[in-house]
Amino acid sequence: MARSRILGALAAAALVAGCAGGNGFGLGPGRYGLVRPGPESVAGGRMTVTPTLPWNQARRSYGDIAREENWTLNGPLLDSLSFIGGVESGKAIVRQRRRAERQVPRFRADMSPPEIASMIETFYRIRAGSVRFEMTGLQPRTFLGRPGFQFDYDHLDVNEIERRGRAVGAVIDERFYLILFDAARMHYFPAALPEFERIVESARLSG
Amino acid sequence: MTHEPTRRAILAGLGCACCAGIVPAAARVRPADMQPLVGPGYRPSEEDELGMWQQYERFEQEVAGSNLLIRDPALVAYLAGLVERVGGPAAGDLRIYLARVPEFNAFMAPTGFMVVFSGLLTRMRDEAQLAGVLAHEAGHFLRRHHARRWRDLKRRTDFFTILAMGAGLGGGVAGTYLGDWVRLAGMGTMLTLAAYSRELEAEADAMGVRLIAESGYDPAAMPAVWRQLIGELDASAAMRRRRRRDQSLLATHPAPESRMRDLGLSAEEVRATGRHYDRGRERYLAAIAAHRPLLLDDQVKLNDPGASLYIVHNLAEDGWNGLLRYYEGEAWRLRGRPGDGDHAARSYAMAVAYPDAPAEAWRAHGYGLLRAGRREEGRAALGRYLAAAPDAPDAAMVRYSLQQ
Amino acid sequence: MGRQQIILAFIAAVALSGCVQTRQYADLEFSPPQGDYDLVVMRPNVQVGIVTTGGLVEPRADWTEQARAHLLEALRQQQAGRGGRTMILETREGVNGMPAETVADLERLFAAVGSSIVLHRYMGANLPTKRRRGIDWTLGEDAVAFGRATGMDYALFLHAEDSFASTGRTAIQALGIAGCLIGFCAPQGGGGQGAYASLVDLRTGEVVWFNLLQTSSLLPGVRFGDIRTREGAAEMVERLIGRMRAGRLVREQQRQ
Repeated sequence: MARSRILGALAAAALVAGCAGGNGFGLGPGRYGLVRPGPESVAGGRMTVTPTLPWNQARRSYGDIAREENWTLNGPLLDSLSFIGGVESGKAIVRQRRRAERQVPRFRADMSPPEIASMIETFYRIRAGSVRFEMTGLQPRTFLGRPGFQFDYDHLDVNEIERRGRAVGAVIDERFYLILFDAARMHYFPAALPEFERIVESARLSG
Repeated sequence: MTHEPTRRAILAGLGCACCAGIVPAAARVRPADMQPLVGPGYRPSEEDELGMWQQYERFEQEVAGSNLLIRDPALVAYLAGLVERVGGPAAGDLRIYLARVPEFNAFMAPTGFMVVFSGLLTRMRDEAQLAGVLAHEAGHFLRRHHARRWRDLKRRTDFFTILAMGAGLGGGVAGTYLGDWVRLAGMGTMLTLAAYSRELEAEADAMGVRLIAESGYDPAAMPAVWRQLIGELDASAAMRRRRRRDQSLLATHPAPESRMRDLGLSAEEVRATGRHYDRGRERYLAAIAAHRPLLLDDQVKLNDPGASLYIVHNLAEDGWNGLLRYYEGEAWRLRGRPGDGDHAARSYAMAVAYPDAPAEAWRAHGYGLLRAGRREEGRAALGRYLAAAPDAPDAAMVRYSLQQ
Repeated sequence: MGRQQIILAFIAAVALSGCVQTRQYADLEFSPPQGDYDLVVMRPNVQVGIVTTGGLVEPRADWTEQARAHLLEALRQQQAGRGGRTMILETREGVNGMPAETVADLERLFAAVGSSIVLHRYMGANLPTKRRRGIDWTLGEDAVAFGRATGMDYALFLHAEDSFASTGRTAIQALGIAGCLIGFCAPQGGGGQGAYASLVDLRTGEVVWFNLLQTSSLLPGVRFGDIRTREGAAEMVERLIGRMRAGRLVREQQRQ
């Protein structure tokens, strides 16, 4: 009898402690930093862009390569802006094990634009788990002042959300530069597209 | 809460045998011993089954509304027709959905719906092989495997927890999030082609062999499916210079060699002397012809070159054509190691010699020639691409390349 | 199912901590709906199960039906008290002038938005651009079109689950807590409630309000409002939705 009362009291204490724990939900603060409108050096410093809206910059994670940076407006489940700042020929655009069963092809400076588009597509299919990936456009476009490409695509992600993407890039001095925007096709892609275009037009080689 | 502990508990069960590495097969179940345990129009009456039934009805709503499905009416009708043919007493009750997932898998829900992944259609050589897989899944339904597995699991975890508490170990094992559809297929309570319980798999294999033989299909198709899978896994590993197949694959396809051997024995047992058995190769090829480009595309773009090349060569046993040579080239191109570009170029050159060469083969051939310095031929090939596909999404880029 | 992964996993994870927790977020300008409005509940999901001795949750059809019926009735009454008419959307078909595919896409987008809200508000992965901005997420123009097609002013997304410990599980719980006395602490979750609800203003497409409710019991045999009963369901609806608060700016104005 007495024992169960002690049990009850202990448990009640544990209960209260658990609740008072408050923000024990934490994935921790500081995962995103603020990017204010204005010139910003990105992805390892070889590229500068000038956003006109405030963005959230994702803290670097283990899976990122050195010359990569990711921003978001509403969270990566809904929209995502990625910068690749000068990946060298022979390197991959993601971190992967050399003997991995499914590999994202490494960038090569002699890749044709359709091969570069194919490299990006493979990334989506094997790392992002997309299905029904479809190129909707591939055309020449000046980027960073040099001849480059614009790659438009639609795909379905692992959560069955229809998504749309646009990637603008170029190979300059045998290095790969890219700005890619991927978002939910419903509302989020069209809403941020004008800002994406402003960022692409503002991009300059630096450093 | 409803799902998380279930998945954890199941994966805990999986975990043990997986760590052991070598999974001993269950004793072979004889097809003659496999009687259906349900008849037409089955409905559950026990409490635990009713609960599951309700969940799966909701799940079927989700599946039916999913935009991962391939809804082509002709193909879906073809599959439904096969299920009717080999579904045994449940033939009229079973539903089938085809999901666009480039994996070799299928699963059966206890409420009578089956989901088949498109990766299955990429790999099957004929109707008998496909029917064998569908019959295996139907076997899970006819032998009430779901209810039996769930009850077994409850017993085992009850026991485990009591044991664990007693030993002061605490309970709970972390599960792994495997990614949406693959996870759903593997969700403990569902039985997939590759589900873990060895006895139940042996039963489904035996039931399946019996069902297809009774429908007039060559029962040897079933061990052939496993032989092909083994070949694929070995080719995938070999190309990456791994001696053994990846552990993750082993976990989901336990002991494929012993299953293949047992199916071979069972196939012989059910074969009736003097009866003519069908493979249905022509019918099958006709049914999936329109979808092959998509199936191969999804597979090759996973960039597992050993597996993709194995699959392409396997399909080429029915004869090479432009489509297969093009995807052979793509597999080499994506692998991208020194020398692979040359392999790819050779395949593209062979592809464009066939009348059925896809337009993309001309594009790939053209860029390859340009890279090799053969400018005139390269430009001609790109011109052929534009002529074949003037409205291609990348036409503007190809035209630009021609102007350089 | 899988799409609500983050939301449900979060409910599950925190449910082990053994208390009642609820935290709501609202748009800065949000006022809880009052006086003559139409609310559609989007394919509400309710699941009730029994926790076996081994910790598995086995769904129970009868309990689920009961809980669902009571919850929806409690919701109707609660909204009626504010002047709202509640309609339950049971399937994606038959929405005036809107294909089932679009309704499905809207639901899927909500799952992604809801998961983002949980990730970036509840789980601490805060987005600096959304600091002190209430919820600041939208479903966009298609939600507005949905509102026009259905004649609804608000959409409510609702998910509730509950599980009840079997006798065997209760015994295990008692053992688990007893262990704390002798130095080995292994609290065993005894079943618990989890629910989320979110309100979308269909006139703007914005997600204007979001609430997450978690309760669980580490105490053997202790329950928080059994949702299989009318009273328990009403209690959950009250905790989840009844205490809906206005957004920060509206509250500040009211204080002045």
